[in-house]
Order: sequence, then structure tokens, then C-alpha cells
Amino acid sequence: MEKLSYVGKSLPRKDAEIKATGAAQYAADRDFAGMLHAAAVRSPRPRIKILSISDAKARKVPGYVTLVTYRDIKGVNKWPVVMQDYPFLPEREARFAGETVALVVADTARAARKAAALVEIKYRELPYVDDPLKALEKGAVKIYGRDNVISSFVIKRGAVDEAFRKAAFTVEGEFSTNYQVHAYLETQGSVAVPEAGGGMTVHSTTQCPFYVLDAVSAALGIPYHKVKILQTVTGGGFGGKEDVPALVASHAALCAAKTGRPVKLIYGRKEDFQSMSKRHPGWARVSYAADKNGKITACRVKYVLDGGAYSTLSPIVLWRGTVHAAGPYKIPNVGIETFAAATNKVPAGAFRGFGQPQICFAQESLIDELAEKAGLDPVRFRLKNLLEPGDRTVTGQRLKSSCGLSELVQAVRSRSGWDKKAATPQVRGDIATGIGFSAVYYGVGLGAKGRYLDRAGALVNVYKDGSVGVNVGNAEMGQGALTVLAQIAAETLNAPYAGVRVEEVDSSKVPDSGPTVASRTTLMSGNAIIEAATPIRERVFKTAHSMLTGLGADPSGGMTAAGGVFSMGGRSVAFKAVVAECWNRRLKMAEQGWYAAPRTTFRLRDGQGDAYGVYSYSADAAEVEVDLKTGVTRVKKIWAAYDVGKIVNPRLALGQAQGGILQGMSWALYENLVYKNGIMVNPNFTDYVIATTADKPEYDITFIEKPYAEGPYRAKGMGEVPLIGVAPAVANAIKNACGARVKSVPLLPEKVWKELKKG
Amino acid sequence: MPEFIAKPASLKELWKQLPSLPSSRRYLAGGTDLVTADNAGADHSGCWIDIGDLPELRAVKETASSLFIGSAVKISELERSAPVRKWCPVLSAAIPHFASPSLRNMATLGGNAANASPCADGVCALVAEDASVLLALKDARRRLPLKDLFTGPKRTALKRDELILGFEVPKRPHAGAYFKLGPRARFGISKAAVALAAEISGGRVKRAAVALGSVAPVPLYAARTSAWLAGRELSPETAAEAAELIKSEVSPITDARSEAAYRREMCGVLLSRALESAAA
Repeated sequence: MEKLSYVGKSLPRKDAEIKATGAAQYAADRDFAGMLHAAAVRSPRPRIKILSISDAKARKVPGYVTLVTYRDIKGVNKWPVVMQDYPFLPEREARFAGETVALVVADTARAARKAAALVEIKYRELPYVDDPLKALEKGAVKIYGRDNVISSFVIKRGAVDEAFRKAAFTVEGEFSTNYQVHAYLETQGSVAVPEAGGGMTVHSTTQCPFYVLDAVSAALGIPYHKVKILQTVTGGGFGGKEDVPALVASHAALCAAKTGRPVKLIYGRKEDFQSMSKRHPGWARVSYAADKNGKITACRVKYVLDGGAYSTLSPIVLWRGTVHAAGPYKIPNVGIETFAAATNKVPAGAFRGFGQPQICFAQESLIDELAEKAGLDPVRFRLKNLLEPGDRTVTGQRLKSSCGLSELVQAVRSRSGWDKKAATPQVRGDIATGIGFSAVYYGVGLGAKGRYLDRAGALVNVYKDGSVGVNVGNAEMGQGALTVLAQIAAETLNAPYAGVRVEEVDSSKVPDSGPTVASRTTLMSGNAIIEAATPIRERVFKTAHSMLTGLGADPSGGMTAAGGVFSMGGRSVAFKAVVAECWNRRLKMAEQGWYAAPRTTFRLRDGQGDAYGVYSYSADAAEVEVDLKTGVTRVKKIWAAYDVGKIVNPRLALGQAQGGILQGMSWALYENLVYKNGIMVNPNFTDYVIATTADKPEYDITFIEKPYAEGPYRAKGMGEVPLIGVAPAVANAIKNACGARVKSVPLLPEKVWKELKKG
Repeated sequence: MPEFIAKPASLKELWKQLPSLPSSRRYLAGGTDLVTADNAGADHSGCWIDIGDLPELRAVKETASSLFIGSAVKISELERSAPVRKWCPVLSAAIPHFASPSLRNMATLGGNAANASPCADGVCALVAEDASVLLALKDARRRLPLKDLFTGPKRTALKRDELILGFEVPKRPHAGAYFKLGPRARFGISKAAVALAAEISGGRVKRAAVALGSVAPVPLYAARTSAWLAGRELSPETAAEAAELIKSEVSPITDARSEAAYRREMCGVLLSRALESAAA
């Protein structure tokens, strides 16, 4: 094993100080001379035909500047996402309550909001659909294409019906999950600054600056080289700043283009709830079959996501859900069909886990039921069926060596005291204690469905003073990318970590690197940095060697490089001095790097292929207390183990794990966005409740690092994995504690109570 | 936020300024309801009158027979107040359930009462404490049993410009409990809450007052259950019977926060737990 100076160490976060002291400049902190402010005018109803929009009353607000509608769009009025069905601003029909119909520009944010409230939309209400299952029925009101289906996939393998006929045990269940709101601290926002010569610079809180570039260029109808996207310090994303910041930034840019002045558009929390993306509500009917020895023989899944009014990211969210729908098991016979249905509600999109948590809740709950039928302990049952290196997934992909799932399951089993606890749930007074399990696999990166976007660039620039500037195309959004990528750059160059700075994304400095999603940043940008830094490294190392030789060092023992210092034969020289000498010798000290993901495949006809380059894995055990009188569940402790390849920064990885667990637990137990008649009822943190530190469980987290040869310093991907398995582990624990099998997330006390009353 | 915020230095100055202020005016104390409403676009006042620092409203005072709590005293100050802990055990038990520590640094009982939400934790506890509310409108003063201040959800018997000066709680030694069922461990609006004040002697209830949050249009004083409890032995049987009785006295609804049937059932569970804790 090579000796590493920076990778694998818990080095301090690069952005800790500016965030802790309040010095960080978020989108709302950006100010420019002559800047105006915009506010959105939103559709009040689920589906309307727009008859007219009038600013007659709004004009009377002091400071009012102008109204911006679709008529002001010089480019094409289609936001380029996956499919192009979402107009930047609607022309005739608005398809969900909260959709931006027009924008008001004014001198102050306050005047803009006041004027926006006075803009009158004359409209006629149209029939709408708010239930995804009803949307798929034959007689449903048609709001999207011929059948309200945004997207659909199948996976077919073996002979499913026959396997069910021959099975010793079968189980079937219907499960559902509700929305999840990203609840990032910083709401959506953007500042667009017109440049002389018709260009536009956009400051945006975003995890996908190149999606913003695509959209702003399309909306303004100007070429890419006249548009520059500068990612501002981004106060949380979780998927919520994947696609939609492009819409917000385009709106700001349209206002700036029309007025010729910088325009700031910062969302309030309520409109952010109403109009920005969410985790899709999911519904699934899942069945499993097993033989008399407890081997899973077949799985059948019908999985439906509520896509909302426009397709946005639904096709790829659904695809990830499809590939992982049967769970991390060897299953010879599989029939999976999946649908994203259109409804007149907020378009749902990316959220940590990306279509997996919904179906994972269903299938991992049902695996417990199957184990029970087969008379086996849930962990022993899983161990019989888990994917191991060399096995094939349901898409027929053969797994290579980086697969530690059964080790993870064994680790969690022993650390949690599973065997004893699961067999003997306790009741004391009104409180029942139980434990539940789940196992998960997660395809790292975009996979076959996003393969054209699965590449990333980097620019590494070693300055004369020995400091190192790094630009990448993937974004820091709180996950620690600036830190981990700086560690990788420092390691590769043998540069002191303190002297390496990775910047927020500037779209003009690196080529389109795809989105910052799918737990791909460490892998993709990390590899691009290594590619860029390697030729510089060779020059630096060669120069150091010649400098040490010049100092009279004996070269026979060879040169070592560690911690920013080069040593040979008792002499040493620092990185800074070596760099200065490189510059004296007129060596090239800046390089571009590029990394493209390995080839992946997916055959639409039967869903067979190598869906992802590599998988990460997790196992969770949750211990809960259920109040038998109130149905209230408290998660006492979560034991989790992860195989995400080499850990670049253990402290940050632990943070990702704890944050993911808490976010998963919060979705599992509390988060309940309510729609009534197509209108969101609780677009606020008073009534949309997320976990606080008072709800936090105790954590026991283990990493089992199965090296991935293609990864930077053998890392895979981390960000999403910890969230996915939490909900089913908690649901299984509730069942273990008190016998209540709740089949819908959130696992509210009301639902547990109803199950308990059934007895 | 309105264009105009007035900040009188004393009650006298307030009454003097009042006629000159814009007509759509509201009192601002801690601002935890009003500013939130404003942020949500739900407040359209032309003027806020900041009473948060009026010295007459900022004191906790003991007399021979009662404790006066000024309407603008911060909840976090009550949390630290020895006389409040001594004479208001229900309120003291409720405070940890009252919003979050940061909100408790701003919020006041006056605001909690004037906002008249059926879920108000502070008010619900004070109703069980048998508190009166002291009101003033210029020279006219009046006193109401606190439970009579509330006439419906977000509606009170307050006259236009009438100000809540404070609350008076009789100094009677009693046990107190506050059991709340919220959406998470802390910092949430109750699905149901039960406040219990009980004078107990020799294992018997001499006098009891039960108030409930979030299960009626107003912070509810449960008159029948309170009266029924007087004179009963503190036993599991009493708790079970009281739990049945309370369920017939509440009128919960189904909304985004919970369901009517669940809330009704929980009133019984929470009351029997409150009685158990009073017995302990």
C-alpha cells in the first residue's frame, strides 16, 4: 500500500471558517451597482388557461420597473433539461399551483414582492389530476401526452410467473412514500449581471452550474461563450439545486436582459416550497418468491412515481429506481415495470438517493416479511441472498471485486447485538423496544442512462509562489468537495494541503463536467484532478530530484516525497522552492484534466446491461422505542456500515453518514408535505416538520473500504448511500417492537396507532 | 413589515400616541407570531406598536395572595424565575415544550394569549393555573378569567387597542404537569396537549384544573373533568375514568397536523399520564 500524506486524513474543511464566521458570500450577499430586484408572479390554481396578465395595479407601487413575461424571451421558450416540456414562462397554460407565470422587476426586493402580489392573472380553471395512480387510469384527464406517462422502464429476466408458481413462500405488499423537501438553509437565488457586448454573468446557488449555462444561453438566445456561470457559496443542495436553479437563474437573466441592469432574484421559503423540486412521492406493489431453503427465486415490481406537472428529472430518477428496485440480492427471475406519472403538482426531481429510497422502503420492508414466512431471521435470510463479487444483478451485470456487502451486514449484525435483540423485543410499561435491518446497493455515478454527461474536467494551476489553484466543474454544496478534492490535488502534487485552494465552479474555466449528483464528485472530479496534476507532478518531482542532486545528496537511496517535502540522502527541499525552480526553468505549471466514466449499457427492451460502473453498499440496523399508547416512535440508535471504497477524509465521511442517516430518519418518521385539491397546504417549517438534534439517534458507523481500482486513490461515492436504507430499517424495527407493519412513509404515530388498534 | 413602527416608552406615552397612529395597527411584543405572519404575507397592518420594552409589562411581581406576570416578560425569563417555578408548576412544566430556546428568548405570554391559537402551550398551562388576565384601555382596566379571553380560533374578547398588561395566578400550593404530543421530540405545534393543576392531599385530589391545547377551537378549560376529579382518590381507576370523560369534552379536528380520532384518544392517554405523574 502506498503511503499517503493527505488522502485518508481528517484534514480541516476548507470552507469551515468562512461559514462559521458568517463571511461566506451566498447568492443573496452578492450586490452590484444599479442592481434591481425581481419577484415571481405565481399561478394560484393547479391548472389554468391564462387569458391575460395585467400590471395596471402593480405599476402604482413606488419603485416598480417592469413586468417580464414569455414575450420577453429572445431564445427558445423551452428549458433544456432531459425532455423539453417545461417553458421558461408559460404562454397559455400553467400546470401547477406555484408555477412562475411572470416576473416583476423593481428597485427593491420589497417593492418587487408588493408589485408581484398586485399583478392580475385572468384565467380559466382547467380540469386537473392530483393523484399519480388515477393519472394512469384510462379515463383520466389527459395533462401529459396521450397517457400521462412521463417515462417508463422495464427489467425482464428469467421466467417470473413460473417461479412464483413453484415457490415455497411468496409475499406481496403495496407501499407508498410521501414527498421530501430538501430544506436547504439557503433558498434558491440568483443574480444576473448583463455584460457589455450582450453577454450575461450569472451568480447562482447551484450544484449544477452547467445546467444553468445551458438554460441561460437557451433563454437569452445567445451563444455559450457569452454566458458565464459563477457558483456562489451554496448553502445546501441535496438534489434540490440540481435542475431548478437553472430555471431561477434564467428568470433573473431574462429580467437583467430586459432592463439592462443587474437583477437579483432570491426566493422566499414559501415559494421555494411551492415551486422547487422535491423527492417524488412513490407507490409500489412488490412481490417476492422464495424456495423452501429461503433462496429468493423471483421478484415482481410495479413502481410509480408522482412526477408532477413537468418531466424535469423524472425519467432518470425513475431509471435509477428501476435498476435498484429488487434490492441487493441474487434473483434469477425478475419482472419490473416502472412509471413516472404526470400530475398538476410541483415537478418532483432529484433528492439524495434519487428514486431509490422510495422503492427500497417497499422492498426491504417486504424482505422482512418474506424472511418471516420462510421462518428465518431477517439478517440470516439476507445473508443467504446478498449479492457477492462475481454475482449478477437483476440487469445481468456481473459485480467485480469492490463489493463488501456481506461483510457490512456481518459487521452491523455483530456491532448491534442483532441476534439477541431481534429474537427478544422488550416491553416496559407502554414502551416497546425493537430492532430492524436493511441492506442497500447504490450505483455510483450517472450510469447508462446519463452516460453522455458522465465526464468531468479540472484545471490545476501551480503559481510561482507554490500555491495551487484548482478549478473543477463539480460543486461544493456542503458535502465537503472543496476539501476532499484539495486533498487529492495535494496528494498528487506533494503540495502542502494548506496551500491548495479549490474554487467554486466558474463555467468559463473548465469544460462541462456534468451535474454534481449521483455521489460522483470525488470519483469524477478527483480523477480529472489527478489527470491534470500528473504531468505537473512529473515536472515537480524531476526538478526536486535535480535540485537535491545539486545540493550534493546521494541519489542511491532514491527520493521520497511526503507532506510537501522532497528528501534524498539526508537532504530535503520544500515544494515551494521546487515550484520556484520549475518556473525558473520555464516549465508548464498549469494543466487541464479530463475523466470519462467507463462504458455502461442498458437495453430498453428488457433492462439488461452493465447499468453502472461500480456500486457502493450499506447495511443499517435501527433500534426503536414505540409508545404503545400513542404510536410515537423514537429511534434510539442506528448501526450502519458502508463500503464506499477508500475514505479520503474520515471526519467528512462520518459527517456525510450522520447527516444522511438523520435526513433518512426524518423522511421516515416526520416529513409530511400535504396537498389538498392540488394546493400545497403546509409550505413552511411550522407544519412541514423535519428532525432536529433533539430527535437525533445515537450513531455507530463503520467503514469497510473495498478499494475501487478506477477511483481516485481507490475511492467510490459516498453522498447518497447513508440515507437510502434508513426508512425500511426503522419500519422493520417498529414491526419487531410492536407488530405494527406500517406501509407508508412517513411512519406517523397516527398510522402506528391505527395498526396497533387492529391488534 | 409595515412602514411605521411606534415604540412608546411608557403606558402613559402609549395612550397619548394612540390616536395619532395609523388605524390598521397591532401590538408587537416578541414578534414570533407577528413577524412570521408578515414574512408569510399574512399580516397587512399599517403600523406596529412595539410594547416589548414597556416597563409596566416587563415585571414578575409577588403580592400576598397572587403572582403577577407581565405580558411582555420573555418566556426564557420565566424559565429562570424562582417565583414562577414555585407558584406555576404547570407553566414551568410547559416551558420546555414551548417552541425552541431561541424563540423563547423572544416570545411572551402576552403575545401567546393575544394570538389566541388553540395550540398555545403557555396559555394552555396558564388556564390550568387558574390565571386571570388583566386588560387596559387608557384608564379603563378590567380583569377576566383567562379561559374567557378566547372566543374562537385566533379570536379574543380584546377590544380595539385594548392591551394585555399581564396575568395573575393565585398563590396556592399545587402540583402541575404538562403533557404534549407534538410532531417531533421538541419544537413543534402540539397535536394534543394536556395541562393539569392539582391540589393533592393524602392521596386524594382536593381540587383539579385540566386545560387542553389543539383539541378545541380555543385553549380549552375542561370544566366537567376538572369538577369530576375533585375529591377523587388518585388511582389508576380514577385516571382511566378521567381519560374517558375528557374524550367527551374535547372537539378535535382533522387537519395537516393530525387526525380527529387520534387526537381525541390522545387526550385520554395524556391526562392519565398527567395524573400518574401528579401522584408520583
